[in-house]
Amino acid sequence: MTATSAPAAPRATVARRAAGSVILGSGRLLRLELRHNAMLWLLPVAFALFWYNGYREIMALPPMWNLRAMTLQNRLLFDLMVPATAAAAWMGSREGRRGITELVTGTARPRWSRQLATWGATTAWAEVGCLACVAVVYLITARQASWGGPLWWPAVVSAAGVPALTAIGFAAGAWFPGRFVTPLVTVVVFFGLAFGTQAASGDHAYWQVSPLIAGAFDIGAAPGVASFYPYLPDLSIAQVMFAAGLAVAILGALGIPVARMRWLAAAVTAAGLAAAGTAVALAGTGRLDPHGMIAIPALHDAAAGQPVRYTPACNRSPIPICVHPAYAGFLPAVATAVGSELTEFAGLPGAPARISQVAPVYQQEPGNGINVSAHVSGASQFIVPDPLPGQPGGTSDQFAANLAQGLGLQLASHVILGGTGRAAIPGPGQAGLAVIAGSVRFPPSVEARDLAPLYGSLLPQPGSPAAQAARRFAALSPAARHAWLAAHLAALRAGRVTLAQLP
Amino acid sequence: MNVEITDLTRRFGRNQAVAGVSLQAGPGVFGLLGPNGAGKTTLLRMMATVIPPTTGRLRLLDRDPGAYGPRREVRRRLGYLPQNLGYYPGFTVAEFVEYFALLKEMPAARVPAAVATAVERVDLGGMARAKLRTLSGGMLRRVGIAQAIVNEPELLLLDEPTAGLDPEQRVRFRALLREFGQRATVVVSTHLVEDVGAACSQVALMDQGKVVFDGTPGELTARGTEQGTGDAPLERGYTAVLAAARA
Repeated sequence: MTATSAPAAPRATVARRAAGSVILGSGRLLRLELRHNAMLWLLPVAFALFWYNGYREIMALPPMWNLRAMTLQNRLLFDLMVPATAAAAWMGSREGRRGITELVTGTARPRWSRQLATWGATTAWAEVGCLACVAVVYLITARQASWGGPLWWPAVVSAAGVPALTAIGFAAGAWFPGRFVTPLVTVVVFFGLAFGTQAASGDHAYWQVSPLIAGAFDIGAAPGVASFYPYLPDLSIAQVMFAAGLAVAILGALGIPVARMRWLAAAVTAAGLAAAGTAVALAGTGRLDPHGMIAIPALHDAAAGQPVRYTPACNRSPIPICVHPAYAGFLPAVATAVGSELTEFAGLPGAPARISQVAPVYQQEPGNGINVSAHVSGASQFIVPDPLPGQPGGTSDQFAANLAQGLGLQLASHVILGGTGRAAIPGPGQAGLAVIAGSVRFPPSVEARDLAPLYGSLLPQPGSPAAQAARRFAALSPAARHAWLAAHLAALRAGRVTLAQLP
Repeated sequence: MNVEITDLTRRFGRNQAVAGVSLQAGPGVFGLLGPNGAGKTTLLRMMATVIPPTTGRLRLLDRDPGAYGPRREVRRRLGYLPQNLGYYPGFTVAEFVEYFALLKEMPAARVPAAVATAVERVDLGGMARAKLRTLSGGMLRRVGIAQAIVNEPELLLLDEPTAGLDPEQRVRFRALLREFGQRATVVVSTHLVEDVGAACSQVALMDQGKVVFDGTPGELTARGTEQGTGDAPLERGYTAVLAAARA
C-alpha cells in the first residue's frame, strides 16, 4: 500500500498546480481582455442612452418599487442593447478584422476558450453598465419610496438579458468578421427586440418571454401590481431561462467547429436551445392572475398568492382615508380631491367611519383588453385610480377627476341613496340626483357630457331643472351642505324633497 | 528529429501549393529558400498546424499534429511568425507578447518573466509599454518575433522574419537564430539568401511546390560555382539550382 500510495501524493500536487496555473492563466487572459474591450469605451454611450431614454422616465414615475422596477426592466435592456451588441460584434470580429486569425490558430488554447474569454470580458463590462444603472435607480428609489423594498426579479431579468445580447453580437462578429457586421447585427437586434414586444398580445402570448416585458404586457408597470400581493416571479423565471438558454446555445455553437469539443459544444448548444424553447413554451401557458401578474402554472408557487401584510397610511380628514403605505405619498392628493365630500358626508347616516383602499382586480379580456375593477363593499372601500400623477398620461388634474368620479361619486351616492349604491337604483328622485351632482366636486376640466355615459343614471341631464338645482346646491359650502343634509337626509332618501326645496 | 515530413501535399482548389515534399530537421537553423509562389509559406503553415496537409505524413516534435491532443501539445512548444503579422493596435508590446504566452498555455507564474525576456531579446525593452499602433514596421516585426519566442519553443517557424528590419537588427536577429538553433529546430522561410548563409546550418530550396535542393549552405554555394548568376556565392548556387530544376 505504501508503494502504491506514495506516488499519488505528488501526482495530486502536480494536478493541483496545473489546475491553479490554468485558472491563473485564464484570469490573466480575462484581465487583458477587460483592459482592451470595446464595451469599456461604450459604457459612457450606454449610460447616456439610459439617462436619456430610461432614467428620466423612471425617475419621473411615482417612487413606488413596482412601477420603477418594472419600468426599469422594460427600458434598461433596450438602452443597453445597441452598445452591448455592437461592442460584442466588434470584439467577435476582432481576429478577422485585424488579420490575426492565423497567428492565434497556431496556439494551444482552443479557439472556443479564447473566444469565451473575449466574450466574457465584453459581457462583464456590459453587466457593469447594467448593474450600475440598476443601482442608481434602486438607491434613489430606496430614499424616496414610502414602503417596500427592491423588486429583484426585474433587475435579474435585465442582467440575464445582457449575456444573450452580447452572445448574439459576438457570434455574428465571429462568424462574419468584417466592419459592416457590427452595424448590421445591431440594427437587426434592435428591431427584432423592439418589434418582438409588439407581437405580445394577451396573457397567453409566447412573446411574453421577451426580457423587455415586465408583467402583463397590456398593463405594463401598474401601481396596483405587486403592491397588495407579492411580485410573481413566474414570467421572470421563464425570461431568465430564455435569455440564459439563448446565450448558452449561441456560445455552444461557437465551439462546434472545434474538433475535439464538437460533441461537447453540440450538447451545450442543444441544452441551451432546450432551455430557451422550454421557456417560450412556458410563457405561452401564462395567464393573468387577479392581482395583475402573469402566473405560469408549471412555475407557480401557490404560497405566493397570499396578500402582503402592511400597516395602512391614514389621514385625519373628517372621514379618515387609509391607503396602502406604498401610496402614502398620494394620500394628501386623495384627501384634497374628495375633501369637500368627506366634510359634507362625515357623520351622516350611512357614511363610512373610514375609507380604505383595496387592491384592484385584473381580468384578461379577449385580445389585448384587460379589465381593472375592484371588489368594493359599500363606500368604505375604494381603489386608487390609474394613472397616478407622474405615470405616462397621468396628471394631478386627471387624478383628481378620476377620484371624484370614483370615490366622490361612490360616497355621495352611497350616503344620499341610503347605502344601496348606484347599481341598485332603478329611478332615484330628481332631488337626490341633484344633491349627488352638487356634492361631487368634479374638476373644471371634467364636463358633464364626459360623465354622462358613465354616470348617466346618477347625474341630471345638462340644462335640466335638476342640473340647475345641483349647481345651486354645489354653491354652498361643504359645512352648509352637511348641515342641510343632516336635517333632510331621511326625507331626501324617501323622495319627499322636491327640487325647489333644495337650498 | 523535431520535423519529419514525408510526401506532404497541399491543394487549394486546383492549385497544388505543396507537391510531395519530404524533409527532416533536427536542432539547428533550417533555411527555406525559394521564389515567390514556391510553396514555402504553405509548408510553414502546415508545420505551424494552421492548415492540415491534403496528403502525406507530418510529425512534429515526435507527435502527429493531425490528432487534437498531440496537436495541442505541439502548439505549446511551437513558435510561429506568419508572413503577415496581424496585431491589436491598442495592446502594448508587453501585453501583446503576454497575450500569446497565455494562448500558448505557458504556466501562468512564468509568464511575466518570459515576456520580459522575450521583449528584451528583440531589443524592445524600452518600448515594452508602447502601444503597437505607435511602432514602426520593423519594430512590429520584432514584436512578432518576441511573441514567437516567448514560450522558449522547441520548434520555431519564422516566415520572412527579417522583412523590414534594419541591418543592425538583422545582424542581432541572426545571432538570436543561432542561439535558438543550439537547442531547438528553427525553420526560416526567406527570400534573403544572406540570412541563410549567415545563420542556417541546413537549407532547402523549393520551387513549384517541390524541394529541389536539400543540404548545407556550403553545398548550395558549391552548386553555383560554374553556371549560377548573382552577386554572392550563395545567390549563384540558388539561381543555378533553380535553373537546373526548371530545365
